[in-house]
Amino acid sequence: MAAVATCGTGAGSTRSIVATTSKNNVTSFQRKGPRASGTDSGCSRLVSIAGTRPSVRNGQLLVSTGLPALDQLLGGGLAVGTVLLIEEDKYNIYSSLLFKYFLAEGIINGHTLLVASAKEDPADILQELPAPLLDDNYKKDLDEDICNHQTPDSNIKMKIAWRYQLLPKMESGPVSSSRFGHYYDASKRMPRELIETSKWHGFFFPEKLSSTLNKEPCSLTHGYRRLLQFIQKVIYEEGFDGSNPQKKQKNILRIGIQNLGSPLWGDDICCTENCDNSHSLTKFLYVLRGLLRTSLSACIITMPTHLIQNRAIIARITNLSDTVVGLESFIGSERETNPLYKDYHGLIHIRQIPRLNNLIYDVSDVKDLAFKLKRKLFTIEIHTQKKFNLCIEEEKNVDYNTS
Amino acid sequence: MESVLALGGLVLLRDSVEWEGRSLLKALVKKSALWLIYHDLFRDPLSWSRTGEALPGGPLGALQAMCRRTDPGPFTIALDSLSWLLLHLPCTAVCQALCALSHQHSRPGGSCPAEPVRVLGLLHEELHGPGPLGALSSLAQTEVTLSGALGQASAHILSRRPRQRPAHQTQWFSILPDFSLDLQGGPPLESQPHPDPHTPPVDPTARVTFNLHLSKKEKEAKDSLTLPFQFSSEKQQALLRPRPGQATSHIFYEPDAYDDLDQEDPDDDLDV
Repeated sequence: MAAVATCGTGAGSTRSIVATTSKNNVTSFQRKGPRASGTDSGCSRLVSIAGTRPSVRNGQLLVSTGLPALDQLLGGGLAVGTVLLIEEDKYNIYSSLLFKYFLAEGIINGHTLLVASAKEDPADILQELPAPLLDDNYKKDLDEDICNHQTPDSNIKMKIAWRYQLLPKMESGPVSSSRFGHYYDASKRMPRELIETSKWHGFFFPEKLSSTLNKEPCSLTHGYRRLLQFIQKVIYEEGFDGSNPQKKQKNILRIGIQNLGSPLWGDDICCTENCDNSHSLTKFLYVLRGLLRTSLSACIITMPTHLIQNRAIIARITNLSDTVVGLESFIGSERETNPLYKDYHGLIHIRQIPRLNNLIYDVSDVKDLAFKLKRKLFTIEIHTQKKFNLCIEEEKNVDYNTS
Repeated sequence: MESVLALGGLVLLRDSVEWEGRSLLKALVKKSALWLIYHDLFRDPLSWSRTGEALPGGPLGALQAMCRRTDPGPFTIALDSLSWLLLHLPCTAVCQALCALSHQHSRPGGSCPAEPVRVLGLLHEELHGPGPLGALSSLAQTEVTLSGALGQASAHILSRRPRQRPAHQTQWFSILPDFSLDLQGGPPLESQPHPDPHTPPVDPTARVTFNLHLSKKEKEAKDSLTLPFQFSSEKQQALLRPRPGQATSHIFYEPDAYDDLDQEDPDDDLDV
């Protein structure tokens, strides 16, 4: 009542009290001072950048790799400032798909992209990005996929653990429009408007190659040097390393480098075992990691490690990268006809996970992971559980479904 | 065999000492009745006989110059052989040049669609180590490996379409004296027994030390087993059926004689 009476006076000092009591506050105590909303620049909380979230373990800022299942296996996502190295499969089908998922995730979140390739023009790569899946379209596809996939075994009702029948099945799709980690339809292209409104830089090595005049001897291969200079220029000019403090909104730079180490970059580690520039690639990775650590960026690199002749180089490359994921596809190998693997297209090996500001690894317990590319979706599952039919009735499918 | 010539890009013909590929190369050249340049690197690497002048850039420069033309249209260049290039030039330079050749985009101002430039390259497998072979294979759109049996040549064709699974195909053929291709159905009658193509698929449960299979009698016995917690199926269904308005479980309690529920003093510790 007292509050209502002072309403009419309209004195400035009582205005705040009126405002708070009209908001159904339980307590009459009120906080005077700056509101802790987190959007002001002078505030101590972390400024939230679109498409990122802090890790639940140590608060490290994470970005999504584009595949929520891979995010889960890597401990929540890819840490900002680190390198994700993907060891390509033999025919470079699935690794280029993962590469495109990473870039598509950047476009959806509004991040800046930097695409470097020696084989394809970056503009062409961007035209082939997968389209994002909207929730209602996804539910229809998931239902028909499940209907096609229903095996007779799964129709047996549970006899012992019957109370679990009512439990909802593990959510294998997007629950709602998630802000971290989106799902993509590999059979459709991303709409051109989304690509055109995004900001991206391209580095196509054959174009830069033609404009060189002198080739002075240098321990770093020419292509790598140009690429590092380009990345450094973009980071500096766009202010990802904090060099332009008047930038209004912080953003993440997603760097994608395709087929690093192949002969098209001018590196001969894939051609001979004792190569002259054997340290060129390792130096490149070292300098790249230094650039990434001092800026708000994340990098994905695909590398044809099955072509590298000297195994010691592969070990060095693995040590110099932060997260290493290897893809092994079954095409052309004898595993294609093996009934153990008949549902899957390949195996996925998590070779290394970084220890960032940590003493322990964040490794998941499962090591036998297989992937398959369904009609539109890329799925990662544990492949040993399904096969031996030891517990038909209470089979609990641990599905790391992506889309 | 038509698929070999259908795709653009680099077509790699891998031959060996037993099964030579030059005649197949010439047969394919004859088949692709389009714009063609046949470059014999053994005899004339710098292409002096064609232009009559020395072009800069060595053999690769000569290749680039040959491919620069003004009139558009599908275009084939046959290289005999890539081994010469690999032996005289660094592998990386050869890979870069081949990639540039097969992905030639002509963009004078506007954006024209990429001309399908087909590069047919002959590669002698036994001259190179696994490194260059692997590097060139990864660049090739189509890879034709020559082998054979009993005097009959066969070509194992691996075609990689972009973003699709690679397709394998084996084709038996023979080359006639006028370099035309004679495709044959299958291998000729063989005297030696070849291994059984229908090997039974590997059964993962075969070599386990315990028995995973149930016989019919055992299955029936298992199904008719009464569970220790006897629960009729009607009660089970009744419990499973969600009651209207109640989704969670409930506790039903009936106070007995010793309970004295007093709302004003629930803990019964007031000294009244």
